[in-house]
Amino acid sequence: MAHLPDINKQALAPIDLVRYAGASGDFNEIHTVPEVARSKGLGEPIAHGMLLMGWAADAVGQWFPDKRLTKFTVRFVGMAHAGEAFVIEGALITEGAGELQIKDSSGSGKLVGSFEVE
Amino acid sequence: MEQEFHYAPFRVEAGKIREFALALGLKDAVYFDRQAAIAAGFRDIPAPPTYTTVIDFWNERDFYQLFANWGLNPNDILHGEQSFEYQKDIINGDVITATAVLIDHFDKKNKRFYLIETTYRNQHNEVVRIGRATLIERREQHGTLAGH
Repeated sequence: MAHLPDINKQALAPIDLVRYAGASGDFNEIHTVPEVARSKGLGEPIAHGMLLMGWAADAVGQWFPDKRLTKFTVRFVGMAHAGEAFVIEGALITEGAGELQIKDSSGSGKLVGSFEVE
Repeated sequence: MEQEFHYAPFRVEAGKIREFALALGLKDAVYFDRQAAIAAGFRDIPAPPTYTTVIDFWNERDFYQLFANWGLNPNDILHGEQSFEYQKDIINGDVITATAVLIDHFDKKNKRFYLIETTYRNQHNEVVRIGRATLIERREQHGTLAGH
């Protein structure tokens, strides 16, 4: 198993969630409206899982710039909020297949995934 | 059981790819510059790996209509898992059609799980991507939310 270089992500600002909402079209109020997020017991608006998956796919691209992503599976294991910094950690398990995770600075997991490149 | 939802044909546009790439903080020039994309071996600017979200949500028949058709409140839905099989690139100018199928649903610990498989095809009817999503519906119980 070969560890891949950590990729650090700066904390999201609340407006980054709004920007991603606009770009993706997912304006779901648990991501964009604090009152709704609170009423659903989520605290503050939660980052879109697909925003984290987009980062994770980009990490694979940075680790393997000359390869093509063929399969990618993630599980959203924790809610992510604005104001938290994240790190993306990865490891190559076999030739062409690896695993990754996104954690916050306290080590709490947000996303775990596996990928294949060729 | 099987329920299907057909998205409207969706044209992939470079400006929307650029906006999406910026929102994700992507730096790869292939998403911003046609020449860079061609130099990297693409026919034109490619869509990033998670771009199918744009096809689902900025669609004339969008994911919210899917929710409504299947009786779901989007504010009660969390995304549990997502996977993609990448079969062909999605490229600026492509017209993508997509069909979502409700593969299964089951209840566990006061939550309902929905497994949805979406197949994306380009204008040549080639499968470009297969997406598999697990959505989790949080159900109210005794006035408080189960789970989180």
